[in-house]
Amino acid sequence: MLNSFFSPKSIAVIGASRTPGKVGFDILKNIIQYDYEGRIYPINPSADEILGKKSYPSLADVPDNVDLAVVVVPAKNVLEVIEQCGKKKIRSAIIITAGFKESGVEGARLEHELAYKAAEAGVRFVGPNCLGIIDTHAKMNASFAAGMPAQGGIGFFSQSGALCLAVLDRALPDGIGFSKFISMGNKADITDTDIMRSLAEDENTKVILGYIEGVSDGKKFMEVANEVSKKKPLIILKSGTTSAGAKAASSHTGALAGREATFDAAFRQSGVIRAYTIKDLFNFALAFASQPLPKGPHIAIITNSGGPGILAADACDKSDLQLVTLHKETIDKLREFLPPVASFYNPIDILGDSGAERYEKTLQLVLQDSSIQGVLVLLTPTATVDVASTARKVSYVSQFFEKPVMTSFMGKKSIESASRILMKNNIPNYEYPEEAVAAYHAMYRYHAWIKRPPKTFTNINVNKNGVAAIFEKVKRENRERFTDEEMHEVLETYGFRQPKGLFARTSEEAVAGAKRIGYPIVMKIMSPQIVHKSDIGGVRKNLNNKNDVENAFFEITTHVRNIMPAATIYGVLIQEMISPGKEVIIGITKDPQFGHMIMFGLGGIYVEVLRDISFRIVPLSNEDVHEMVREIKTFPLLRGVRGEPETDIGAIEQSLLSFNQLAMDFPQIIEADLNPLLAHTRGKGVIVIDARFTIGGE
Amino acid sequence: MVSIYIGSTGGYTGKSLVSMGLGQRFKKDGLKVGYFKPVGILPVKVDNILTDTDAWRIYRALELKDPLTEICPVILTQELMVKSYLRDVKGLMTKITRSFRNLSKDKDIMLVGGYGSIYTGSYLGLQGIQVLKRLDSYAVVVIKYDGEYIVDYAMQAKKDLRDRFLGIILNKVTDEQKQSVEEYVIPFLRRKGIDILGILPHDSVIGAITVEELNEMLGGKVLCAHDHMGNLVEQFLIGAMQVDKAMEYFKKTRNNAVIVGGDRSDIQLSAIESGSVCLILTGELYPSEMILSTAEEKNIPLMVVREDTYSIAKKLERLSVRLRLRDTVKVDRGMAVVSENINFPLLYEKLGIRPK
Repeated sequence: MLNSFFSPKSIAVIGASRTPGKVGFDILKNIIQYDYEGRIYPINPSADEILGKKSYPSLADVPDNVDLAVVVVPAKNVLEVIEQCGKKKIRSAIIITAGFKESGVEGARLEHELAYKAAEAGVRFVGPNCLGIIDTHAKMNASFAAGMPAQGGIGFFSQSGALCLAVLDRALPDGIGFSKFISMGNKADITDTDIMRSLAEDENTKVILGYIEGVSDGKKFMEVANEVSKKKPLIILKSGTTSAGAKAASSHTGALAGREATFDAAFRQSGVIRAYTIKDLFNFALAFASQPLPKGPHIAIITNSGGPGILAADACDKSDLQLVTLHKETIDKLREFLPPVASFYNPIDILGDSGAERYEKTLQLVLQDSSIQGVLVLLTPTATVDVASTARKVSYVSQFFEKPVMTSFMGKKSIESASRILMKNNIPNYEYPEEAVAAYHAMYRYHAWIKRPPKTFTNINVNKNGVAAIFEKVKRENRERFTDEEMHEVLETYGFRQPKGLFARTSEEAVAGAKRIGYPIVMKIMSPQIVHKSDIGGVRKNLNNKNDVENAFFEITTHVRNIMPAATIYGVLIQEMISPGKEVIIGITKDPQFGHMIMFGLGGIYVEVLRDISFRIVPLSNEDVHEMVREIKTFPLLRGVRGEPETDIGAIEQSLLSFNQLAMDFPQIIEADLNPLLAHTRGKGVIVIDARFTIGGE
Repeated sequence: MVSIYIGSTGGYTGKSLVSMGLGQRFKKDGLKVGYFKPVGILPVKVDNILTDTDAWRIYRALELKDPLTEICPVILTQELMVKSYLRDVKGLMTKITRSFRNLSKDKDIMLVGGYGSIYTGSYLGLQGIQVLKRLDSYAVVVIKYDGEYIVDYAMQAKKDLRDRFLGIILNKVTDEQKQSVEEYVIPFLRRKGIDILGILPHDSVIGAITVEELNEMLGGKVLCAHDHMGNLVEQFLIGAMQVDKAMEYFKKTRNNAVIVGGDRSDIQLSAIESGSVCLILTGELYPSEMILSTAEEKNIPLMVVREDTYSIAKKLERLSVRLRLRDTVKVDRGMAVVSENINFPLLYEKLGIRPK
């Protein structure tokens, strides 16, 4: 869809310059020197010829059609140039010029006008304030970057021009191949999602790499990423996600959900492979660009020394990868030529005196083993090993198998030659074993992503009119919270069981209520100003008779009035005592870009300390719900430890789906949590002990 | 027997303090003193007897021996409040007069403590003015001094109380306000025939609160220095500035408690080092171990609260107008302030009695 940006038949450089060192010169030079095959038109009012190309005073003077305009004129002239592009029927422009949004209020205004003018003129543009675009296959380098990357399968887009330069510079000596390089700049017109889609369609691009600092429309980003990641691996480095969090948010969920968690959830749900460092970004890209995906988690490690083998095994253990034992047959064959003190289990330690041949034979046998789905070859440069020859053998053997092989030949100077050989043969070599495992793991996760069946969704049909009326009322009364009765009705409508409760204004009513519900009972203060009832002594448990109830009524109401004289006390709530169970927390928060998120975690008073929680962005699929319950570290506690019966996990999942539905039905929810939601043993269901909602103005 | 009703034109003006101070002085002067609170708004159970918290404190401070059941006959529990809104509760005034009769039998002077202002209580048929008339009491009106405009309240009180009106006591007059009180307020009130029975200076100890009370009111969790919950807080500071500024500001303020986000360890350390008496950490964010141990070492309680700094500050602002005399340090100080600053000769003269 953005074809004319990448393979234009003709390019005009508006603002081309005769002065070396100026951007208008460098870009023209790059276009010419890397053998661009189309027509080139430098535009400069006072030059006849630049770098051997005939120059034109203005776009209007160019005799032929122009596909792509590269704009390098000063910011104040950009608008005029775009108008001229429109007149010349140029549909695509790269605006290199800086001095827009990034430079302050005036610039922001200018950028806004630019977007408007361009739309009017029918011109799509990349930038402003960008480095340009490179397409290695079309031999077009319309950028002011130093150098031209090798041809290859990595498509890279970046919000930061400087990062583009760094990546490019880093890639050059290793000959890492790129298909396209797009510096996005301020993203005033063409955005990440446009580029992602276009790279997904590009047949030269095998892997899409991106660096972003933020997204403007979270939902759209997820939708496009989901679509793109089904076709090609999409690896993104996202910066600026750490935030000290919404610290003083009034609900647990609010305090626990930082932006970091939001992006993690968004990426995970849309199949984006997340890189946390530039190094990751590179490492992952190399693996994806050069090796087939592993068909499963079973990996074997071949090493010539113990330490690195253990490090790699540890890294696997922390991931979803599994070091499985080889077939007996394979082991027997290995015994035939490996020294008896070698380790035949996984990691396979072929000892420090190994030469290239031992590596070759071992790798061959391990790759033949049907229980192994990929191999990691580790090497420390001992005196006996010929690293270059080993690299050649490893490369040779691997090409016969549809299984990923990665290496970590450790060291620097002595493995340089080997590293080059491996890279040339499409075997990614990593400095350290952990990096290799991380890249392998990313590939395995991606494999799992594309293989997973389509998501299924549950639509929970409730009669939401009553609830809608409550939301309306809350809004009308300019409140942020529900009263207890309203909360009860909302939760009941969405299928949540709650303790039986009765409202009492006086101690006589309380005693009568307790009788109806049946002893023992719990008493809670009812006041719209009191959110955390137990914090201020507004809850009494295990009341067993009339006397208890009368005393508790006096104590609670008196105490609360004493310490919160401004609170209106409606009375008390008499509730049934609930038998013990596992406390979990379910919550909703709202992110300004991605909308509602659902949180799950082990609940109770330690939730903030343990932070053992999982998040998903609404809408949640059945698979999301299944995963998020199992994702928390304390999941074994729910399944039951030391002979404990299993908790009703099905009911927890159902609750998550109901909360998901509630969030979808009512966008005005800002925060909500059920904490604790008490989960009983299997078949006994869950019950809401305490709930909190914050509702916004929409 | 004479009785003085200690009333006010607004809530939280310092009536309890005045009652204690007057009672103590009358006792010292050899009079048989009683204390009576017709309507209590702070229910408490003492040995299973329902009474009022303030009344109970004054009773103890004055070391009275009367039956506790009679001290405060009507207590506004949640129960009574709800019932009186739903239907008229009868017999309350009779209960009051009966208890008063029993208590005052063997007394030279009865102190009668009002609740709220002299106008509150109408909905129960127990408005202050009505009650004091029924008990045949004279009235002293305590006014918290906020500015010259309070002369309006004094004039209105005089008009409404007519022959029962003895005069006013100005409370919490700060050093800065003193001049305008002397130059404008006193001469004006004299001209209008209103007696000033006393001018009580503002005192930060009386206005202080213990860390324990604070914790109870804010629903916090105290993490360390549990033996120092009795520390008195006189002022609150918000720790939201640069560290170098903070230090200066903390040092300048006596017995301060600092309200600060739980994650601002820089500010927390400066507060601990500059000798704050308590830290209120907001946002339910727990401090680092290092901070905890330093605070423990310096005997400074750290309190974690759920709300954010702004909400806590707002709460404390409301709290500061309704501090109660709980702590013995504060009670002693309060009584001393009253006896030093009340014109007892004038009061005796107006009551028509004299010390024994």
